[in-house]
Amino acid sequence: MASNKKYWTSVVELKDSSIVEKLSKSEFQEEIPVDEFLGDKDSLEKSATTRRDFLKYVGFTTAAASLAACEGPVIKTIPYVIKPDNVIPGVADYYASVIADGYDFANVLVKVRDGRPIKIQPNKDVKKHNTTNARVLASVLSLYDNNRLRHPLENGKQTDFKSLDAKVVAKLNEINANGGKIIILTGTLASPSAEKVIADFKAKYPTTEHVVYDAVSESAALDAFEQTYGERALPNYDFSKTEVVVSVGADFQADWQGGGFANDFAKTRVPKNGKMSKHIQFESNLSLTGANADKRYALKPSEQKFALINLYNAVTGANLPSKKTPQDAAIKKAAQALKAANGNAVVVTGIQDKNAQLLALAINSYLQSNVIDVVNTKNIRQGNDAKVAQLLKDMKAGKVDAIITHQVNPVYTLGKDFTDGLKKTKLSVAFALANDETAKNAQFVQTVPHALESWGDVSIEKGQYSLMQPTINKLFTSRQFEEALLSWSGNNVKYYDYIKANSTNYLNGKSFNKALEVGAVSVPVENADVKINEINLSEAASSLAKTKSGKIELAVYTKVGLGDGKQANNPWLQELPDPITRTSWDNYLLLSRADAESLGLKNWTVDNGALNGNLANVTVDGVTLKDVPVYIQPGQANGTVGIALGYGRTEGMQKEMMVGVNAYPFANKTGHEVKIEKVGGEHKFACVQLQHTMMGRDEITNETSLSAFINKPKEEWNPAPKFSLEHKEVSIDEADLWEKFDDTIGHRFNLSIDLATCTGCAACVIACHAENNVPVVGKREIRVSRDMHWLRIDRYYTSDMTEEKGKEEGIFGSGEYFNAQIQPQDQPEVSFQPVMCQHCNHAPCESVCPVAATSHGRQGQNQMAYNRCVGTRYCANNCPYRVRRFNWFKYAKNSEFNFNMNNDLGRMVLNPDVVVRSRGVMEKCSMCIQMTQATILEAKKENRQVNVGEFETACVNACTTGAMKFGDVNNPKEEVTHLQKDDRTFKLLEFIGTKPNVLYQLKIRNDKA
Amino acid sequence: MNQFKSFQQLVKLSLVFFIVFTVNIFSQDAANGKKLFKSNCAACHKLDKKLVGPALKGITEKRDKEWLHKWIKDNQALIKSGDALAKQVFEENNKMPMTPFPQLSDKDIDDILAYVEGKGVKKQTTATTGTVNPLVKKGKKIFKTNCAACHKLDKKLVGPALKGITEKRDHEWLKKWIKDNNALRQSGDKLAQQVFEENGKLPMTPFPQLSDEDLEALLAYMKVGDVKPVVKQNTGAQTSSKKVSTAWMSWVVVFALLLLFIYLLFINKNTFLKIMAIIAIILIGTYILFDSLMGIDVNQGYQPIQPIAFSHKVHAGDNKIDCQYCHSSAKHSRTSGVPSANVCMNCHKSISEYTGNGTETEEELQFYTKEIQKIYDAVGWDPENVKYIENYDTKPIVWTRVHNLADFAYYNHSQHVTVAGLQCQQCHGPVETFDDMKQFSPLTMGWCLDCHKTKELNFDNKYYEKIHKQLSEKYGVEKVTVADMGGKECGKCHY
Repeated sequence: MASNKKYWTSVVELKDSSIVEKLSKSEFQEEIPVDEFLGDKDSLEKSATTRRDFLKYVGFTTAAASLAACEGPVIKTIPYVIKPDNVIPGVADYYASVIADGYDFANVLVKVRDGRPIKIQPNKDVKKHNTTNARVLASVLSLYDNNRLRHPLENGKQTDFKSLDAKVVAKLNEINANGGKIIILTGTLASPSAEKVIADFKAKYPTTEHVVYDAVSESAALDAFEQTYGERALPNYDFSKTEVVVSVGADFQADWQGGGFANDFAKTRVPKNGKMSKHIQFESNLSLTGANADKRYALKPSEQKFALINLYNAVTGANLPSKKTPQDAAIKKAAQALKAANGNAVVVTGIQDKNAQLLALAINSYLQSNVIDVVNTKNIRQGNDAKVAQLLKDMKAGKVDAIITHQVNPVYTLGKDFTDGLKKTKLSVAFALANDETAKNAQFVQTVPHALESWGDVSIEKGQYSLMQPTINKLFTSRQFEEALLSWSGNNVKYYDYIKANSTNYLNGKSFNKALEVGAVSVPVENADVKINEINLSEAASSLAKTKSGKIELAVYTKVGLGDGKQANNPWLQELPDPITRTSWDNYLLLSRADAESLGLKNWTVDNGALNGNLANVTVDGVTLKDVPVYIQPGQANGTVGIALGYGRTEGMQKEMMVGVNAYPFANKTGHEVKIEKVGGEHKFACVQLQHTMMGRDEITNETSLSAFINKPKEEWNPAPKFSLEHKEVSIDEADLWEKFDDTIGHRFNLSIDLATCTGCAACVIACHAENNVPVVGKREIRVSRDMHWLRIDRYYTSDMTEEKGKEEGIFGSGEYFNAQIQPQDQPEVSFQPVMCQHCNHAPCESVCPVAATSHGRQGQNQMAYNRCVGTRYCANNCPYRVRRFNWFKYAKNSEFNFNMNNDLGRMVLNPDVVVRSRGVMEKCSMCIQMTQATILEAKKENRQVNVGEFETACVNACTTGAMKFGDVNNPKEEVTHLQKDDRTFKLLEFIGTKPNVLYQLKIRNDKA
Repeated sequence: MNQFKSFQQLVKLSLVFFIVFTVNIFSQDAANGKKLFKSNCAACHKLDKKLVGPALKGITEKRDKEWLHKWIKDNQALIKSGDALAKQVFEENNKMPMTPFPQLSDKDIDDILAYVEGKGVKKQTTATTGTVNPLVKKGKKIFKTNCAACHKLDKKLVGPALKGITEKRDHEWLKKWIKDNNALRQSGDKLAQQVFEENGKLPMTPFPQLSDEDLEALLAYMKVGDVKPVVKQNTGAQTSSKKVSTAWMSWVVVFALLLLFIYLLFINKNTFLKIMAIIAIILIGTYILFDSLMGIDVNQGYQPIQPIAFSHKVHAGDNKIDCQYCHSSAKHSRTSGVPSANVCMNCHKSISEYTGNGTETEEELQFYTKEIQKIYDAVGWDPENVKYIENYDTKPIVWTRVHNLADFAYYNHSQHVTVAGLQCQQCHGPVETFDDMKQFSPLTMGWCLDCHKTKELNFDNKYYEKIHKQLSEKYGVEKVTVADMGGKECGKCHY
């Protein structure tokens, strides 16, 4: 029905329609002077330059200008004035060194090209501590951090060392004369020479006290070990001897007690003679270690403590006071397994409570564990919480006159208590790389060189000495901590000379230069009888059992990316997706699904495919963190929330890198009651994997149980795909559409990844970044799935809904069934799968490229000619593995992507052998063709064949557990050649017939009781 | 019929153009004559001006050719023989006798005359040696190989300057001293001891291997010094090079073609020819456009001005220094490397001035000597005191890169130099003849691949042994090119 209603657009129209009428007729108040600039028709036609001519001229000028611009730029080249003998421009040198920043310790090889360190690799020539995690590998980029402080500061103003020294020494002398207290607050140095330097300093200024502070503390473990064995150190573990390991909250495959255990443990994870280790994990947050465990049980932090007592009781038959936990049956089984292992068993715990650590030591002692080593103890955590607490008290009381900080950022990690105390000191000197939170608050900032610019010695464990050597001249005005202390104590010796002289004390007669060349020396340790002190375990247990359980408890953790946050300004680490949550550029509050539902907190996917989440205020012991994003994490223990340290830094940082919330106020509040209050607003996550389950597609990644592996034929647990050809079942080779080509001559590269030993630690991702100039794209781009990682580590959770269950319930094949399949289990099993370009022999990407920019090499590599690519992205669409990455933007020299490739300093890390891709081209894993080609060239130059094991890719080199292997399968002696025929070997989506050159060995979970 | 006739005409015309082109290509420039003129005559003569001697342009018209031959070879003899014309010329030119040039062959003189005349002459190689006593020449050679490391004629180096030493010291004494100065000193010779002490007690290397004859030659050389073949006073002798330009011929062709097309398009009434002409124009136009577009960023012939006028001709050509002596990283590394200044100093510690190969003018010599000084400025070398200046703030030399490969193309020198054993000249051209370095090859991908497709692998290398065995067993292949080994694959150079 038509309506007679009249509508007005405004009240004015209703009241005085004449104005509106007038306005609607003449929209422009004044007449537009069209004639003025166009002239009348006559003159326009007579004009010498018509509009057409004008356009012609414009067109011609543009064309001419662009043609003229085609001339190449003039490039200058500056050779050395006096070239050092051992430097050949264009040839990389490798220097053995050690990275030791107080949190990460590793023997490394530094690849130096034309005077610039461009990559860090594990130093495999050294027998111990030769694995590198993501942070160690990324620390080469921290060297070129554009926010590094260029010169020393005095009250925020530029100064020089001479004036700084004069003033600092004058004040130190004054304080010393008045008997004032001088505090040197450092992270764990683990350096014999640095400790001697501090002792020298103490001799000059006797009121000095050295306080060691680890932001992520292992103080409880140190205290417990000291009480039991009389030495303040961390016990060592040889996980390669493990048959059974029970971990109560210890992330020992990642960063527990300084990390570095994954490699040894991996040796036990591949079945040999039907045997492999059994790994049982009790924990709150889903850790990397928990994700790799054979059996994982979720417990609240308080319950972990009871679990440890119960485990002790079950193992020893004692009856210490305890409480029940939901997993007591599992604990009993674990105890039986431990006892059955004849000493090849160990219990580890990450509970930051001395009593818990005492119990763990007692269990290991009872088991006569030969995994734990209490002789060759580790030095890489020395922080003493009690001393730090005392220091804070003293500072508050104004009892501290001078404070010197090094390798710590207490203003950030200790917060207001420290900042207030700092104001009461007469002298504060911060040794710092950047103008960080502590440096901002200190009177003097003494710039220090990066580890790659420094001399040093480090003793990671007793009897192991590593030497640190500079691989580049100091980039900025800086001086080492040790050198400054020496100078302040009146000793103007160079630190190099000091180390060299001091090294005679521990090198055991070995040559210093030889040690420097190799990187580390091993000195026999006197095997003194280990004395075990009598420990009152019932007292320890009863105090543990008194722990109150909260409704929701806090569990603080660190991520493999940022760790304790020292390298928060490192874009590689910020962009590294967390192996578990697959989220980058953030920390967040981890919640279990049940808790999130009861609190009304949600995660949801928005229209561009990205993840958003609610915000919450989190309060622990009266301290509130505001607007913390919430992430619902399968595997999270109900009644527990997790939050990662290391984020939320605000000083000495690039704006883009100031992400996340600072959880350090909660640092030692694990197990405390948490109050969570939902607040308004939403958080945008940068999550690269929203698909959590495999939806029953077992072809993607595969795993089996140990019993199936032993007892059942291969066809049952690793079936080869079958095809129907002329009504007969045939193998994939017979059902091939494509013609075969001869690939038996020359090299043919295969990459093999053992999922049984891959822990998902992501070191390979960073190594790939460094080797291949992979750009950092930032949070915004990651959110819209434009991440550029050539190598990703997929993480899959198991789902409750299986095919059988679906059929049983009669919903198989329905939408309901698929919806159920999408949901991961609340306590899922987790599997990791590194995926890079599979270098298919029958590559779907190659056949769709309209310009043949991607093609197959004789050596098996799927090659990508960037300069040929026109950016149709057909290849990416046709790739079944989704490994191709498109350069949506120019990521270098573009202020929109203000990361390391946008400043001269950051670009120094680029590998000159690999081109930086420009906008509009596709890129992907090249199987490090620059490395394989370099290996071949080396052999040719030396007039020899390529040696077995000589071929390497960046990821294989960096792999912490040796899960990745690479080699020439046309060489029968290579390891990959044998792996090709291994029963556990499968190929990703083999049934589609792409014939990848990447192999996987399926994961095996030990299901034996 | 008409059509056929026109077509015939077209063919004829094309033939004419073809011939014109061929002539154009085969015509040669005058070169040898110019060279000879420069090295022999230019000191006293110019073509268009009077210098010491008269201007020589048009002399061939004025004088008889045979007479000129005689005059150039030995004008004094000609005058003495009573030739009237010769006498007249002698007197006209202030009775200045002209240097006789008996060493010039008839052919040489013809070339010179042709040059003077402005004609194109076929190239010929002729040695341009000055009139130097062979003994002195020999002496120079001996001096260079034995003494030059420590002595210079006119300057102190490690040892004292040696010019005029024959006047200061006894002839026989010098011989003894050179042969074995140690023995001479030990024999108690006072002079020998004095010389030893004067020169900072640095013992001189004895040269017992030198024969008496050698020593005579050496001393003769020390007496005479470097004889510059031609003493040149005027240096601005920019003898207006009469390089006969043949560019006009091409223009004639272009013009003729243009006319032809205009005729065919506008005057001619034959539609078929019109269409043919249009097709031809489109084809030529497309070809020119394509060619010019393909030429973008191909920098063949790029010859930037360098901060030091370093001449590869002087170093690699005249002095036959091996390429890899300076570009030492070529055999190890991806880059051939611009040599660092300390490599220059290996030789230039003792070579502080440019002496040339005898064809340069004084100004050129001075110019190059100044260029050597630039290295000293860079490294802080004091040529007077023959030592490095202490605490000198070195100044790196900023060269302009000649060969610039795009970032996306990976090239490795060591692969080609060490493994393939290629000569540098294969890609860089006859560098030993270049004064200023230039990009000789186009360095395009097609150019790379042309070689990869034909170059055979060197199976002596043990790396290739297995592959070669497999190939010959499987396919019976004996020779394998780079391309067969995957040298045509994109990923081998683009990563």
